[in-house]
Amino acid sequence: MNSSQKNRLKDNAFKYFGIGCTLFGLLMLAIFLGNILIEGIGRIDWGFITSFPSRNPGKAGILPALIGTLWIMGLTAIIAIPLGISAGIYLEEYGKKNRLANILEINISNLAGVPSIIYGLLGLEIFGRIMGMGGSLLAGASTLSLLILPIIIVSTREALKAVPTSIKEASFAMGASKWQTVWYQLLPASFGGIVTGVILALSRAIGETAPLIVIGALAYVPFVPSSPADEFSVLPIQIFNWIGRPQKGFAINAASAIIILLLVTFILNGFAMFLRNRWQRKVKW
Amino acid sequence: MNKLEAKNVNVFYGAIKPNTVTAFIGPSGCGKSTFLRLFNRMNDYIDVFRMNGIISIDGKDIYDKNIRVEELRKQIGMVFQKPNPFPKSIYENVVYGLRIQGIKDKKILDETVETALQQAALWEEVKDKLKDSALALSGGQQQRLCIARTLAVQPTVILMDEPASALDPISTAKIEDLIYKLKSKYTIVIVTHNMQQAGRISDKTAFFYMGEMVEFDDTKIIFTNPKQERTLNYVTGRFG
Repeated sequence: MNSSQKNRLKDNAFKYFGIGCTLFGLLMLAIFLGNILIEGIGRIDWGFITSFPSRNPGKAGILPALIGTLWIMGLTAIIAIPLGISAGIYLEEYGKKNRLANILEINISNLAGVPSIIYGLLGLEIFGRIMGMGGSLLAGASTLSLLILPIIIVSTREALKAVPTSIKEASFAMGASKWQTVWYQLLPASFGGIVTGVILALSRAIGETAPLIVIGALAYVPFVPSSPADEFSVLPIQIFNWIGRPQKGFAINAASAIIILLLVTFILNGFAMFLRNRWQRKVKW
Repeated sequence: MNKLEAKNVNVFYGAIKPNTVTAFIGPSGCGKSTFLRLFNRMNDYIDVFRMNGIISIDGKDIYDKNIRVEELRKQIGMVFQKPNPFPKSIYENVVYGLRIQGIKDKKILDETVETALQQAALWEEVKDKLKDSALALSGGQQQRLCIARTLAVQPTVILMDEPASALDPISTAKIEDLIYKLKSKYTIVIVTHNMQQAGRISDKTAFFYMGEMVEFDDTKIIFTNPKQERTLNYVTGRFG
């Protein structure tokens, strides 16, 4: 075998290995989804979505947890998006690029990797105790905002970095101020990237269980939260709670709740894709 | 009164008269673009940037603390090497400078678009598609659009950083024609690595080498009878 044949063989070998690796992940996901769907789809009806939790698995529903999840998502978005995007804009466009900026940058990236339960402890101390929010929706959303801020900041910076310098220079050379350049050129051009980052961050927040348990979210909530000061539960906690029960009926309920949680996430991601595609047709280089 | 003056900026002493075209020539990396960017303070964004000496317009030091950079840049426009229209419509590109000044009157905006595009010799080609994306234009058209965008805010000086180096010969000829016509109303400073171009369009030429201005004189003198040997070697093609 000569060297060109050897190279071809290696090339092909890696190709099939790569296909295998890709399929492995997809297959696992497919098995999981299939399993959950088979177990849980039959249980989903209007009653399941609009009922309160109950000791009887056949009568139990996810209403408070679903509404809690929507509240948490909304509040987290309201808190984290303006903070994260503003901080990202500052760091990328206004802040000087010196040693301090480097240290900040490394630390923000590190923060994105801190285990979420630690954010839960931080939230419990600062929001729950010092600021007196207790186990309220606001305390939960504030805690999750801290958790996803680094993700939003980093992805905002990346999106801004991707805008060609030539556009920035053109704007400055026309006499635009920094803020005008950010507002008229950089944000519209980086909108797709920023939205993607924000949605990814929110999707992560939706799935978080540990920090909310730490700050005192409830497993059993017999009411629908109606203000940010109310106590609450969220879908992942409801799922976690049901899975721990010995009765078979609750396992089915958990599978059904997982389907609903996935659905919420997919809708969110679909919305992000829609926004991004719409925007990209307007802005192309 | 001199339009632009530069004193003590490295070794260079010189002045640029109004309504002239001044060319900066020299090999790549000799500092001619950096020097050009001093005039509208585009180097301010480089964190380590520092400057000694005085650059003034109409007798006013542009690096004075009281100078508002945004105001200065309305007076001193710039056209870049690579056409860099905004990813917006042709119309919006031209009125950008007015919009950021807060001008909303549709009549003024419309008039400015027509005048600026006509001055930039682009009006006839685009007048029926002002709402189309500027990125759909050809490279040469994009560059003329960038010139129109600069003219729209009525500067008195236009800096051009190798405006034709990314264009084909026909587009280049159009840009050169344009520069020749604009001279009657504006003071133009152009960086070029094309010596023939400098010879064709400029009144004065400055030769840069290794971060220094070697010689600054009438274009004719620079190309036929320069005082410095390095200049002679460069313009006769012996190096660079």
